[in-house]
Amino acid sequence: MATATTSKASRMGEEIWKTRVDKISAEVLTLTYGTLVAQLCRDLTLPNTASQTDYLAVNAELDRMGYAIGLRLIEDFLAKSQNTGHCSNFREVAEVISKVGFKMFLNVVPEVRGWQGPPAGEEGAGGPVAFSLVLEENPLAEFVELPDDGRAQDELWYSNVLCGVLRGALEMVQMQVEARFTSDVLRGHESTEMRVTLVRYLQDELPADDD
Amino acid sequence: MSYHFAIVGTRDNPLFDLDFGTSKLGGDGLSHFKPEAAHMNQFILHASLDMVEEVQWANKDLYLKKIDSYQNNSIHCFLTATNVKFLLLMNPDPSATPYSQHTPGTTTSPPPRAAANAKHSATLLAANPSSPQTEEAVRVFMGEVYESYVKCTLNPFYRANQIITSPIFRSRVQAAAKKYL
Amino acid sequence: MPAATDDNTYGVQPPGLDFKDSNTIPLPPPKHFQPSLRYPSSRKTIYDRNLSRPSSTTSLASFAYIFNTIITYHHAKSGSVSEIETRLNRAGYPIGIKMLDLLLYRQSGKAVRPIRLLELLQFIHGALWRGLFGRAADALEQSTSKKNEYMIVDNEPVVNTYISIPREMSQLNCAAFVAGIIEGVCDAAAFGTEGVTAHWAEGDEMWPGKTIFLLKFQEKVIERDEAIKASVG
Repeated sequence: MATATTSKASRMGEEIWKTRVDKISAEVLTLTYGTLVAQLCRDLTLPNTASQTDYLAVNAELDRMGYAIGLRLIEDFLAKSQNTGHCSNFREVAEVISKVGFKMFLNVVPEVRGWQGPPAGEEGAGGPVAFSLVLEENPLAEFVELPDDGRAQDELWYSNVLCGVLRGALEMVQMQVEARFTSDVLRGHESTEMRVTLVRYLQDELPADDD
Repeated sequence: MSYHFAIVGTRDNPLFDLDFGTSKLGGDGLSHFKPEAAHMNQFILHASLDMVEEVQWANKDLYLKKIDSYQNNSIHCFLTATNVKFLLLMNPDPSATPYSQHTPGTTTSPPPRAAANAKHSATLLAANPSSPQTEEAVRVFMGEVYESYVKCTLNPFYRANQIITSPIFRSRVQAAAKKYL
Repeated sequence: MPAATDDNTYGVQPPGLDFKDSNTIPLPPPKHFQPSLRYPSSRKTIYDRNLSRPSSTTSLASFAYIFNTIITYHHAKSGSVSEIETRLNRAGYPIGIKMLDLLLYRQSGKAVRPIRLLELLQFIHGALWRGLFGRAADALEQSTSKKNEYMIVDNEPVVNTYISIPREMSQLNCAAFVAGIIEGVCDAAAFGTEGVTAHWAEGDEMWPGKTIFLLKFQEKVIERDEAIKASVG
């Protein structure tokens, strides 16, 4: 367990949150995000229907929007957290994401669990490297209940924008990852959990824009 | 003693309704309305909406107290900030309510029952619909329903004037009813 | 399931159905909506959360990213500046309805509904702005030329931080979103408006982002307000 990194990251996250972040009431964020998702659910409907939402398309759109956000968010993050330095392994990346990144932008600290892959310090030693982020509180989904149409709970990942954000942000620091939700309390599961898997390190300098 | 509770939206459309009875003083918690009361109750409640409109521009409070009565029913109203009305109809003795003038052949049964229950029901809330204790109990009940209602409307997928279908909302209202009424 | 026929002729039975009393055709029993949502067994539902707990804060940047996404989304779907503003207005509208109930609920024992126009305006200028942005709005004015128009002024709308408008769309004011919230509040409180719009206030050097929200109330609202004033005063 990288306890030294953990506590350093926690302290940094707290400090940045207190001093360098402009704040706004969390309800405004919840309501605004809710409006966005509800709008998508109204606009993206199944082919040849006008009122049945295509939840899979909504998931994809949220992911795409999150990706665009992530590309810009990473600069904001790097600017505010100048003391992070370069993360030497994927475990550090996970700690920094949860203790600093999430803290800075959403004022929550998800738990990092479920490690799978080579131990710390042996990056690239074969096999996927992956971890789970468990969100105890999800500020995007306060007071949300999915529509009771028999499909939403099986198909929609309400906070899917977060997956896109992680994907976009990490791509800008030369890591290609896959992020997806594996459980969500809105779906009746016991916890809200995202699985982040490292696909590969990007050695070449890929162009940043994605159009 | 029986109650009929309804939530009516801004276009006079019903969003929610519930029948129940008192659990106090040994009541069983079930409503004892006559069969014809099912549609009569809705009719009475909707007729009282006119009274709500008259009163709402003179009274700033959310709880408008008793606004109307019909035979031995009394109607209390709570108006939310967004003009959604919570209407509670209470009836101390539903069997004694002659909704229509032509009650087919059952006129003999109500009086003896009423006499036996008179002492019992005098202490119930609905027998004194305008008393402060009644108003207070109903006000607290409405406050709890309002809390659940606000939580329901905060859902981004809930559009204004949509019917409330959540079973948890229903059980919350029932629990509040059991506690206060 | 027996169905009520359109021509409800007495005594005529629909084919294939068997009623003892041929004079009545019973309506089908109403199909009650069967709720089917799953809820976590240990975690609480939304009805368990406390509405009145001190509102937590989050970063303005997160809101800005999501808001930007909304603007980009609507921009891609529409052409003109006014169409984007209308879409933003429609997007903010349901938020106004929710905020009105939430704010009044939080006032608990002392909650009063705004009955007079001035009370509503003061509610928007004060409680609504504080609930959304943490501070009151900057000014509340009545138009001198039209008696159904009122203005609320915000020197630096929070939603416009981090937004830079391209030159060809300089008329666009994304505070149209907030205008939609205001419109939702007014309509929900039964003070119907003909529209609430957000305009740049030109010529203020100290506050380049100053925005004026113009509220146009319907005639009947003004008349009702005058009637109440007459009956009370």
